[in-house]
Amino acid sequence: MIDQRNFTYMFYGFAAAWVIVTIYVGFLALREGRLRDELERVRRMVEDSGKKN
Amino acid sequence: MRNKLVFVLCLLAAGILCWQLYNVLLNLPNEKDQGAIYRIVYFHVPAIFTGFIGFFIALGASGMYLGTRNLKYDAFAAAVTEVSLTFATIVLATGMIWGRIIWGIWWTWDARLTTMLVCWLIYAGYLMLRRAIDEPTQRARLSAVVSIFGCTDIMIVWKSIEWWRTQHPAPVLSVRDGGGMAPGMESPIYWNWLALMCLAAVLVIIRMRQENMSREIDSLRRMAHSY
Amino acid sequence: MGKTSVGSFLSSTVAIASKDLRSEFRTKEALNASFAFSVVILVLFSFAFDPSSEQLQTISGGLLWVVFSFAGALILNRSFARELQNDCLDALISSPAPTGALFLGKAIANFVLLMIVELASLGVFALFYDSRFGAQLLPIALVIALGTWGITVIGTMFSALTVNLRMREMMLPTLVYPLLIPALMAAMTLTTDLMSGTPIGKDNTIWLRVLIGFDFIYSILSVVFIDVVLVG
Repeated sequence: MIDQRNFTYMFYGFAAAWVIVTIYVGFLALREGRLRDELERVRRMVEDSGKKN
Repeated sequence: MRNKLVFVLCLLAAGILCWQLYNVLLNLPNEKDQGAIYRIVYFHVPAIFTGFIGFFIALGASGMYLGTRNLKYDAFAAAVTEVSLTFATIVLATGMIWGRIIWGIWWTWDARLTTMLVCWLIYAGYLMLRRAIDEPTQRARLSAVVSIFGCTDIMIVWKSIEWWRTQHPAPVLSVRDGGGMAPGMESPIYWNWLALMCLAAVLVIIRMRQENMSREIDSLRRMAHSY
Repeated sequence: MGKTSVGSFLSSTVAIASKDLRSEFRTKEALNASFAFSVVILVLFSFAFDPSSEQLQTISGGLLWVVFSFAGALILNRSFARELQNDCLDALISSPAPTGALFLGKAIANFVLLMIVELASLGVFALFYDSRFGAQLLPIALVIALGTWGITVIGTMFSALTVNLRMREMMLPTLVYPLLIPALMAAMTLTTDLMSGTPIGKDNTIWLRVLIGFDFIYSILSVVFIDVVLVG
């Protein structure tokens, strides 16, 4: 068994696991930001239309 | 209160993972046949436990939604499924990297691998379906049915390929007999499992908060239109 | 009371099935399209590999079921979608027929249509690829019937589930094919065995059990959950 390659791939395996989690967390963060903006906008919209009436 | 819980769980997960990473990399010797690569099992197996438990919880939550028609359960089912799919992806990725070294190939149509892939496809379909429906109660209703059908299917696939073709290593844990790991080599699996469960819980909490947020947006929007 | 409700359930099922079959036999739109499509796929396969080789025996089952499941998608896609015009679906749901009968009736109609297409394409397959399975015709027909029921049950259920979706044509295959894998796997193995002359014996009865189990489980699940899907 080629030990160097073996060791490198072990590192890849660990990295892959963490990269996937990181990508998912990034995806969550993006959505969080988008939702926050949206919520803010809709809130303001409701307040505005509430004032008009 | 919820933020504190997230923080504590994160800290716990990070602590265990760092400790076990140190343990696995520096304390444990290489395996006699596989060399260094066997250490992937310390992520692979905990990830699959976490993922499968998640899918079962999602099944329960989907059933609860259909029973109570409370959208909270739907948000929970969606969050758990999405997080579990992430862990299923980790299982596939780490497994393929391990297979490249031990089997010399990235993929083989072995029973367990096929089951996992089918599982992945079904739940990816579930999440796609959710994105295709805008009306919250319809989305909840239909995706709950898909979750129930999907989980049943995975159990059938699991049973039916057992006798098909297997080159995947037999279960290594000593809980089932025939476990082949030395005691000191087995405990990191359980520790990492605990850590990944904490991580999964954190992700589910965050994902559920988003689900609540989008429901709030929906209701606010409806209010704005009703003026 | 129990007896009459079973009777009315069955008669509504028959009514729905015969309605669907009659309207399909009048136009033959889905039948023709789906049969033409299967012939085209069968022809395309002859370019994918050497059609006269020995190898054909070992992949015939897989080949046929790929054709069948593709042909099925064409029929199943329309099963509920055809009721959208003029709000026929709402009328059907609000009619006194229980939704379970609506589902079963539609599933039976789809089953008959798909079986017709499949038997016709089986003939084309035998003609083009010099496959001699005459001796095993009966078991093959049984396997085809069981596999087709699996396809129709899941397909009809998800046809109902996706009927109101924007991307209906895309969502249906994405959801249906992964779920069908155990049934298709069993049907493919059995068909390949039978095509190469191996009868259903101790080595492959397990696959017959998988197929029957799959049909049974999903028939029940579908009848139970169709109400949730269509009504709410």
